[in-house]
Amino acid sequence: MAVKALPEDGELVAMTLRGNPESFATLVERYDRAVYHLAYRTLHDVEEARDATQEAFFKAFRSLRTFKTGAKFSTWIFAIAYHACCDRLNRRKHYVSDEMPDRADSGPGPEQQAIALDEASRLRCAIDALPEKYRTVITLFHLQGKQYEEIATVLGLPMGTVKTHLFRAKEQLRRLLSGMEVTES
Amino acid sequence: MKMDDSELERAIFALPLEEPPTGLRSSILLATAYRPAPVFSLWDLAALGASGAIAIWLVALLVLGGGSLFVHTLGLIGSFASRFFSNATTLAWLAAGGATAIWLSLFTAPQPAGLLSYRSRRRAGR
Repeated sequence: MAVKALPEDGELVAMTLRGNPESFATLVERYDRAVYHLAYRTLHDVEEARDATQEAFFKAFRSLRTFKTGAKFSTWIFAIAYHACCDRLNRRKHYVSDEMPDRADSGPGPEQQAIALDEASRLRCAIDALPEKYRTVITLFHLQGKQYEEIATVLGLPMGTVKTHLFRAKEQLRRLLSGMEVTES
Repeated sequence: MKMDDSELERAIFALPLEEPPTGLRSSILLATAYRPAPVFSLWDLAALGASGAIAIWLVALLVLGGGSLFVHTLGLIGSFASRFFSNATTLAWLAAGGATAIWLSLFTAPQPAGLLSYRSRRRAGR
């Protein structure tokens, strides 16, 4: 018995534009968790992440006609969500001060909390301790894998910059994680 | 112990996604795909507004000038319309425009799917 293949994202977009709203519901089911993850990891606030996720899907739904055939829906929705998060960060006036440092925060913070936590929690704490630009790149790397071009599109940065940020982010993560192990022992 | 690149990547990919708050999906769906259709479309509102404005104008004519002003204004409008439509040149231009529109609609090139569906949705909504 042949198994019916699930429709591709592009197909679902086309079906929504043809007047089938259930297709957009499928897209929401596919990506709401990932978009929320990106929003939460960027904003660190449940309510704001929730609002940013909602805003991203609402904007995507309203401007679905501008979605280019052949483009990746995930990249598109992540880009919309990322911009919604940046707007919120700008409004909070924390964005500039968060963006400035090129090194991980050194004060007591997430690293300290990581003691005696399992590996995943320690990694999450280490990611939280990264500067904003590295944290976002790592979050998108987590969501999109090694699709550097897609990450660059979401962030609106050249691919070389994304690769550099990712390299430095991993370096800092390794340093933070080994520091945590030392503290633990 | 220091993680190598592949170990770190494996650990990153193994991280679970954040759990979204309850009701997030339903609130997104209610704001997008399952949003209740508005009672009046933009065209309905425009038609209602125009009809309302004409009605108010006619009532104002009746109230301010009595029946004579009302009849006089209607007569003016009627004479203008009859002059407009009895002019052979005007009628010829109208016919030429209509025929061209019909002819063009027969030879229109295929439109992008998005635009087509938007138009058909608007037509269906009317």
